[in-house]
Amino acid sequence: MTRLFSQFKTILTLSWRNLWRNHRRTGIMLGAISVGVWAMIFMTALMRGMVDDMLNQGISNLPGHIQIQHPEFLDDPSVVNSIDEPRGDLLAALENNGVRVWANRIKVPAVIMSERESRGINLIGIEPVSEADISGVPARISKGRFLESNQDKGLVIGAKLAERLETRLGKRVVITSQDPDNNLAERGFRVIGIYRAELAAQEESNVYAARGTLQDLLKIEGRVSQIVLVDDDYRNVESLYRRVAAATPAGLEVKPWYEIDTYLAVMFNMMDGFVLIWVIIIFLALSFGLVNTLVMAIFERVREIGLIQALGMRPGLIVYQILLESLMLLLIGLIVGNMLALVTIKPLEDGLDVSVVAEGMAMMGAGSVIYPSLTLYDVVLANVVVILLGILTSILPAWRASRLDPVRALNTH
Amino acid sequence: MLVDVGLRLAWRNLWRHWRRTWLTVGAMIFSNGLLIFAMSLQFGSYDMMIDNSLHAYSGHLQLQHPRYLDEPKMRYALDNVAAIAERLRRELSLDSISARAAGFALASSEERSYGLQIVGVDPVHEPLVSTLPGLVKQGRYLKPGAAGEIVIGAVLARNLKISVGDELTFLGSGFDDSFAAGIVTVVGIFESGMADLDRALAQVELGYFQDVFAMQDRGHSLIVRARNIDDVESLQAQVKALLESNQDISLRHWEELQPGLRQAIQADMASNSFMYVVLVVLVAFSVLNTQLMSVLERTREFGTMMALGLQPARLSRLVMLETALMTALGLVLGIAVGLVVNLYLSRVGFSYPGMDEVALKFNLPERIYPAISLASMTLGPAAVAIGSLLAALYPALRLYLLTPIEAMRAV
Amino acid sequence: MSSIRCRQLCKTFKQGDEIITGLDHVDIDIEEGEFVCLSGPSGSGKTTLLNAIGGLDTPDSGEIHMGDIRIDRLERGPLADMRLHHIGFVFQSYNLIPVLSARENVEFVMQVQGVPAAQRSRKSLEILREVGLEGMENRRPAQLSGGQQQRVAVARAIVTHPDLVLADEPTANLDSVAASHLMDLFVELNQHHRITFVIATHDKRVMSYARRLIKMQDGKIISDEPQ
Repeated sequence: MTRLFSQFKTILTLSWRNLWRNHRRTGIMLGAISVGVWAMIFMTALMRGMVDDMLNQGISNLPGHIQIQHPEFLDDPSVVNSIDEPRGDLLAALENNGVRVWANRIKVPAVIMSERESRGINLIGIEPVSEADISGVPARISKGRFLESNQDKGLVIGAKLAERLETRLGKRVVITSQDPDNNLAERGFRVIGIYRAELAAQEESNVYAARGTLQDLLKIEGRVSQIVLVDDDYRNVESLYRRVAAATPAGLEVKPWYEIDTYLAVMFNMMDGFVLIWVIIIFLALSFGLVNTLVMAIFERVREIGLIQALGMRPGLIVYQILLESLMLLLIGLIVGNMLALVTIKPLEDGLDVSVVAEGMAMMGAGSVIYPSLTLYDVVLANVVVILLGILTSILPAWRASRLDPVRALNTH
Repeated sequence: MLVDVGLRLAWRNLWRHWRRTWLTVGAMIFSNGLLIFAMSLQFGSYDMMIDNSLHAYSGHLQLQHPRYLDEPKMRYALDNVAAIAERLRRELSLDSISARAAGFALASSEERSYGLQIVGVDPVHEPLVSTLPGLVKQGRYLKPGAAGEIVIGAVLARNLKISVGDELTFLGSGFDDSFAAGIVTVVGIFESGMADLDRALAQVELGYFQDVFAMQDRGHSLIVRARNIDDVESLQAQVKALLESNQDISLRHWEELQPGLRQAIQADMASNSFMYVVLVVLVAFSVLNTQLMSVLERTREFGTMMALGLQPARLSRLVMLETALMTALGLVLGIAVGLVVNLYLSRVGFSYPGMDEVALKFNLPERIYPAISLASMTLGPAAVAIGSLLAALYPALRLYLLTPIEAMRAV
Repeated sequence: MSSIRCRQLCKTFKQGDEIITGLDHVDIDIEEGEFVCLSGPSGSGKTTLLNAIGGLDTPDSGEIHMGDIRIDRLERGPLADMRLHHIGFVFQSYNLIPVLSARENVEFVMQVQGVPAAQRSRKSLEILREVGLEGMENRRPAQLSGGQQQRVAVARAIVTHPDLVLADEPTANLDSVAASHLMDLFVELNQHHRITFVIATHDKRVMSYARRLIKMQDGKIISDEPQ
């Protein structure tokens, strides 16, 4: 035990002092590792932030983490494919099972007409109490107010739609849709609120009314299009999904967000892959320099390596000594790189404005401000990859050094 | 020192530490290959995105009422569109120019009603500017002069629960705010894979549209498709010249028609550029390391050479020449690697798990093919070469600080 | 275990196209506590023989026994252990580890052996005083003169009380005063600690200290006489 500890101390001293022997080379390599690690973490945080934003927006546009609906509804969002408001087991499951928020929703295609223009829209009937947690629209009212009760007679439309319809707050518009018996359902509404959304397409197509008011208009008393659930974290909805699915009566379909919008699911899943590939590419670019540094460090010390072999240091210990040197280099580079990343991400916490390409971001489904998202997972991944692969690439030069012939090594100039 | 001698000396110096040289060149080859691969795929996917998006519907250029782009309303129309289209086709000797008129209507089948965008098109020329007529999967496309026929998107047909041969009524308001209504027969159903088009677009014959919506000879846009995306700019200039007298018509470039497309490309380019710059910087570090070491270990040698009467400038040039040789090696081999990868991918295409979903969103096919062009093959390697030469400046210029006596004393 | 027996040692080297004979059927026995000088012109095989005995180099054929152990058959690891515990080396060009101070160089072998720190420290200070380097313990090799460096190297070789010290031209880089100091030290260690010394040299002053002188030429022993 003492022997191992003592040997470890010996190679620790040798490694540390050898590292600083050629301080310029070590410095340059540290610079490279730091920049590489910084780029790994910084870029990942930005991409994560963007994808998080896409997912949040996408999910609040669905909306919800889990939806319960008629099996045909997603394909054919018609009033015909309505379901009963929850009761019995399902209601009990929703009320008692730690569901953070749930709500009934109605969603039907409709036409909105102002005095001058008409447009096709999604008419959405919501329950105002829970809407803030579901679509977030109540927080984005720019003029007027949001709906206040399930029987509110008002209508909330997007700013872009108001512009297209040449209408404004307080004006009346006419909504036309159809009831389940295929009769026209028509009714005048007063615009009581105008909202803004990150994505222009949402502003233009989503129109909000109270759930009860729409049930009257569409003659679907006690029936809704969807039941929408929101859990604490969209990344982790599996268990809620299973519990709710178990309580849902046959004939209804329960779907988590990632099955409803497969593009979002792909973005979500691809992100981890992207991070790994990015980290590995940067590492590979670094690895050439790392191996180079080690090979040169060994080359300069051939004689010394021969000497410590002659003095009786086992080849294994020589491998460890060189690996330790590489590890120290990597660790210092990682510390500096991580700190650089922290320091550069911190000022961007309030968001990086990319509104010059806002419509391009919208096309990808993201907003015009990126909020970098620094996750423990990504930071750990970057650090672990650098250390593991770093040690792995150092093994060959270290092993070669331990196989040097001591007599020849000692006779090198 | 003759250039020839300098070159030979530089070349030999490189191989004094062949492992170090190859590792540095290896970093260059890796980065060059990767940059070529990434840029070619990137440019390739942009080309396809632009082509697919523009060919599907919007065309390369459009002539519109000056206010129509921001406020696509029925009243911002162009007079006599068919005649303008005819004249442009003649003057430009380009057939792929077609007139359209568009309005909003509520369409009803027996069972359902949906709001949709109804577009009047010229059945003869529309197939030349848009791929949509070719994407009719059931029935057929519109025939010239055929009033009362309509083709609709596949999702819309499903939602309305109708198929080819069924009747559809539509209701809208006409140019003069009058009531516009018609009964049409579905003759074709198209399936483009683009949700916006399949869900909410229908086409009828232009003359019929003008009648029903009381447009007389008016229309909303003239779609121009260039023979090739590279011709768009020159075509734009020609059309502009022809329209010089007319203040009531605006010529719109595709970048104005689909700002999202251009900006999505810009956003993607910006994030990719960041990654490219990082790669180049890492290679530069490698070169800096190698060249600084190689200069430092030759301090004595350089001191001797200076004592023999060589100017520091000559020695600096020698170091830069060594770097240039290394860079050239990395450049040639890197381009070779990149070319091999690209040639392979241009045969089999490139895809990754989940790409089909992303591709759908950006109007891309399920496999993308690299664009092998001068730019995609040389931009990356050129950046790596410049980065490497800049990195070598520090060790090269350090030589000016050397005095022969001290240098010769160095270990 | 420190008696050494070499039988029919042969070793050849390639230098360019030429094949050079290092050892040519050498037989030699060295008993515990001997003080042996190997002499001969350069290329006569002195260093090759020293390296073979020290296990740094393996002969092409022949046997080397150290006590009961046949060291020419040992693997790299056990060979390293044997050097660590039983053999001390002194080289012509000192060969200190440049990043370690004088004291750390002396302690190096003990550290690898796993000797406790307190004991290490006591022994190293003691031995450095013995070789006359008191007050210079914390200097790095670059801050010491050639003679001082060689004394550190000797201190390192003997501090663990090895059974055998192999020295290759230990005085080649020393002036005559430093050289005779070193040899006095060797003799004293040989007499007081019964450490076997094998010294390769062509320095006449060194040979005068030897109690057995072996002359070599072209890889062969040409004479072997007590002095």
